[in-house]
Amino acid sequence: MKITFPYMGTTLVYSKLIELLGHEAVSPPKPSQRTIDLGVKYSPEFACFPMKVIMGSYVEALENGAEVIITSGGHGPCRAGFYGEMHHRILQNLGYDVDILVFDSIKRDFKSFIYNVKKLKGDKSWQSVWKILKLTYKIAVQVDEFEIQLQTIRAYEISKGSCNKVWDKIQQIYKKVFTEKDLSEAKKESQKLIDNIPYKIVPEEKKIRIGIVGEIYVVMESSVNMKMEEVLGNYGCEVHRGHYLSGWIETHMIPKWFSRSREKEIEKKGEKYIEIKIGGHAKETMGHIVDYHEQGFDAIIHLMPFGCLPELVSQSIMPKLMEDTGIHVLTIALDEQAGIANNLTRIEAFLDLVRNSKEKKSSKVS
Amino acid sequence: MKIGIPTSLLYYYYYPFWKTMFDELKIEIVLSKTTSKYIVNKGIEYSVPEICVPIKVFTGHVVSIIEDVDYVFVPRMVCVLKNEYFCPKFMGLPDMIKYTVPGAINKVLSPKITSDSDNISNPKFYSEMRSILGIGSWELQKALKKAQREWEKFRQLSKDGYVLSDALDIFEGKEIADKNILNKGDITIGLLGYVYDIYDNFVSMNIIEKLKEMNVNIRTFEMLDDSVMNNSIEFMKKRLFWTFSNKLLGAGYYYYDQPNVDGLIHVTAFGCGPDSMIGKMLEMESNTYNKPFMTIRIDEHSGESHLQTRAEAFIDMIRRKKNQADGVSIDENNLSIHGNNAGL
Repeated sequence: MKITFPYMGTTLVYSKLIELLGHEAVSPPKPSQRTIDLGVKYSPEFACFPMKVIMGSYVEALENGAEVIITSGGHGPCRAGFYGEMHHRILQNLGYDVDILVFDSIKRDFKSFIYNVKKLKGDKSWQSVWKILKLTYKIAVQVDEFEIQLQTIRAYEISKGSCNKVWDKIQQIYKKVFTEKDLSEAKKESQKLIDNIPYKIVPEEKKIRIGIVGEIYVVMESSVNMKMEEVLGNYGCEVHRGHYLSGWIETHMIPKWFSRSREKEIEKKGEKYIEIKIGGHAKETMGHIVDYHEQGFDAIIHLMPFGCLPELVSQSIMPKLMEDTGIHVLTIALDEQAGIANNLTRIEAFLDLVRNSKEKKSSKVS
Repeated sequence: MKIGIPTSLLYYYYYPFWKTMFDELKIEIVLSKTTSKYIVNKGIEYSVPEICVPIKVFTGHVVSIIEDVDYVFVPRMVCVLKNEYFCPKFMGLPDMIKYTVPGAINKVLSPKITSDSDNISNPKFYSEMRSILGIGSWELQKALKKAQREWEKFRQLSKDGYVLSDALDIFEGKEIADKNILNKGDITIGLLGYVYDIYDNFVSMNIIEKLKEMNVNIRTFEMLDDSVMNNSIEFMKKRLFWTFSNKLLGAGYYYYDQPNVDGLIHVTAFGCGPDSMIGKMLEMESNTYNKPFMTIRIDEHSGESHLQTRAEAFIDMIRRKKNQADGVSIDENNLSIHGNNAGL
C-alpha cells in the first residue's frame, strides 16, 4: 500500500513506521503556500487552520500517488477529532477514491484500533510488529531529545544556521536506521554532530528561556507557525515546546502504568484555571504555562489557530494567569492570512519587553 | 439572596426548568434584560475579540447584572448525551466568566451538568450549588422533580409546533398573538440554528418574525423528537461530538427529506466551530436533495436590512420555483420593474 499521513513536525517517524511495516510511504511535501491555497480552496471557510493545511497536504500526497491515509483521531469536543470524517467526505466529493484509517486513542476505541493495526501489519507477525513499534518509538524519543538540545544551542550558535544543518543531517542519519544496532550508532553520531557546533558562552542572567504552548499542530509544524522556534532561536532565546511527538505517543498510545508522561501532572497544574478537560489542549496549555513558570522560564508564546475553540477559552483566561504568575505571554492566532512582518514586529517588541523586565529584576536583586 | 440568570445561550432552552427550580426553592431570580446594543458592547469589552458573538452576548449579560445579584447562574454544560459534549466554550464558560468579568470570581454558581439524556434533573449535578446556597437535599430533589415536569411540558409545546419564543410566552402565561400560526403560510422553511442565535432577537435581528411576516411556516430542530433526529444521522460512521450540532444536522437531513419543506436556512454565528463543519455538510447535501439552502452568518456588526434583503430574496426564489412547479409559468423577461418583483 502507498500510505500517506498529515505533515506535522518531522515526518521521519511516520515514514519509518510505514516503511518498516512493509508499505511505501508517500510523504506529503512540507506545507507550502500551494498546500495552504489548496487546503483553503477545498475546506469549509470557517474550519480551523490545521484542517485546511492538512487538507492541502492530502491533496498533494494523493497527486503523488498515495492510496491510503493514516491519521490520528480524537475524542472531542474539539473539532480536530472530526477531521478524518470531514476530509474523507471532501476528498470523495473531489473524486479521489481514498481510504482513511483513523487511529483513535487505543483507550477509547479498542476495536477499530486493532482493526486498523491488522490492516497495516499485513502478514507480519505480531512479534515483529511489536519490535517495529518499539524501534520507531525509540527513534521518536531520541530524535525529540536531539531537537530539544538544538533548541537550546540555537540561541548561542556562532555561525547562524549551523543548528538547522545539523538537524537536517540528524534526520538523514535516522532515516537509515533499521535495527536496534543502527539506532545506537545513529545516536552516537548525532550526539557528536551536536557537540561539534561552536557556540558562545552566555552568562546565566542573560539567558532568555521561552516556552511555546498551544494547539499541537501549529506548535509542532514550523511551516505554519512562521518558523517560530528558529525565529526565537535567532533572537538568542532558548526554546522549549509544550508538545513533542514522543510525548504524544506516551500519553495516547501507551497504557497508563507504563507511560512516563507528565501530562497528568501538567493538567493538575492547569486545574485552577480550567477545571475540566474541555477538549483540545486548553487545559494542558494552562498547565504548561504554570509548569514553565515554575521551571523559571521567562516568557511564553501561545500559538493557536484562528477561531480554535478550546484555545479561545485559554486565551480568555490568560490575563488572569499572567497576573497571578507574572509571566509574560504573547498569544498569536494563525491562519492563512499570515503577515510575517507583522508577527516579527510583535515578537521583537515582546522580546524587548521580556529582556527589560528581566534586567530590572536582576538589578534589583544585586 | 438573589440569583441572576443571564438571558442568553441555553436560557432559551432550559429557562422553564431553572425558573421552576429556583421558584420551588424560594430563591429570587433576576433576569438580565433582553439583549441590547449596550449589552453587546459590554460583552465585546470583556471578552476576547476572536470569540463568537453568542459568548460575547452572554458575557455582556453577566456584566449587566453582576452588581445587582449575589450569584450568577452559569451552569457548566458538559454533556446531555452519552459520549457527546457541548462546544468547548460551553464547557469552559464558568472559568471564562470567572476570570474575565470583574467581580465575578466568587459569584459564579456553576452546577456541572454531565447527564446522559436531555433530563438534567439529577440532584448529583447540583451538589456544589446546594452547599453554597444551603439547601436541603430533600427540598432540592422535590424542586428538581417539579422543574423537570414543567420543562417537559414546555418541550411538548415545541413539539406541537410552536417556535421557542412563543413557547416561552405560553410558559409565562402570556397570550400569544396568533395561536393558529402553525400552518398558515404557503411555504415551509427549515430554520436551522442554535437556540441562542435564532431566538435572541438582537443577534438574529428577529428572523422569526420576519419570516412569519412573509407568510412562511417555520420548522426548527426543537420541534422534532430526538429519535427522529437520531435516525436521520444514523448512517454516519462517526457522529459529531456536539449534541446540539448533531441535533441540527439530524434535523437538517430530516427536513431535506420531507417533501413539504421547501428550503433550509442555516443561521450561524461568525467563528462558530461546530457550525463550520455541519454548515459544509448541509451545503453539500443541498445538491443531493435538490433543495435550496442558505447560510446567514451573523456577528456583532450585522446589518438588519442585509438580512431582510437576503431572506426576502430567498423566499421569493422558493415561491417562484414552487409556482413554476405548480404550472404557473412566468416569463422571466415579462416582469414589472416596479414594485413587488416576486413573480406573483
